[in-house]
Amino acid sequence: MPDRQAIEALIIESVQMLAEDFELEALKQPDSDSPLYGEGGALDSMALVNLIADIEEALAEKFERSVALADEKAMSAKNSPYRSIRSLTDAVIERMPA
Amino acid sequence: MKTIVITGTRKGIGKELAEYYLAQGWKVIGCSRGESSIPHEQYQHFALDVSDEQAVVAMARQIKSSHGSVDALLNNAGIASMNHALLTPADTVNRILQTNVVGTFLFCREMAKLMRRSKSGRIVNFTTVAHPLNLEGEAIYAASKAAVESLTRILAHELAQLKITVNAIGPTPIETDLIRGVPQDKMEALLARQAVQRMGEVRDVINAVDFYLRAESDFITAQVLYLGGVC
Repeated sequence: MPDRQAIEALIIESVQMLAEDFELEALKQPDSDSPLYGEGGALDSMALVNLIADIEEALAEKFERSVALADEKAMSAKNSPYRSIRSLTDAVIERMPA
Repeated sequence: MKTIVITGTRKGIGKELAEYYLAQGWKVIGCSRGESSIPHEQYQHFALDVSDEQAVVAMARQIKSSHGSVDALLNNAGIASMNHALLTPADTVNRILQTNVVGTFLFCREMAKLMRRSKSGRIVNFTTVAHPLNLEGEAIYAASKAAVESLTRILAHELAQLKITVNAIGPTPIETDLIRGVPQDKMEALLARQAVQRMGEVRDVINAVDFYLRAESDFITAQVLYLGGVC
């Protein structure tokens, strides 16, 4: 299984590509704590959908792992996994098959 | 060269659609549960069950690495079973819903992911006049296509921001395996309910699909077009 650093790097790269595509200045140089979705986050719901699809695709391509990030657990979680890059990294690690 | 994905290309309307778009100079990627029946340089075939999520995802990944993206999807694959509701086993119900509803959804989802980066795309789903005509003996088939119509309208809204249009076409009966076994008197009664009372032909389907696929049709989405004057 890839380590946390590799997963976070993949998510940061996906966020950067999305930020270019959607012209989101706030996310062009993201770090672990950059807010993504929800309070203070720069993503609207459509940008979030695109980001999740990008990350799922990248995980499949780079690590050959099939991860569904928008599962029922994520949608109903008290603390949304889509808040920040850190929380998204946690969500990927939690769902990644060994 | 444009790329189109067509499901259910081994026979019937799907095969003819594939051959038509190949003749028009498109690259065609088809699928069916069996092996390919279309020998053509620009045709690529995947043998899979359209309701098998893993297989559909794997197909989409392969298309992404070989083609990058796709321009259009025709969700043609479908099965029917004509029977009285009192005699229809749950296995048949599940099989029809799996292929017609789950299969259509999976292809919409995976191909829309491939279309989204090019900010354009055309999805055409297949429904049937059996739904608006409430045809007896086709409860499950018609219900499955009612679901496809609902899916079409909602996906049209969800995918509009990605510049992907989603429409449906509802053919009247066409001479294919799907209607083999329907009694002659039933067929005549059905034709009598159409404004134009003749059997449909593949060219009628192609004409409607071509309209949806045109670049100028970027303002046409969430529509269901029944052939033969059925409404």
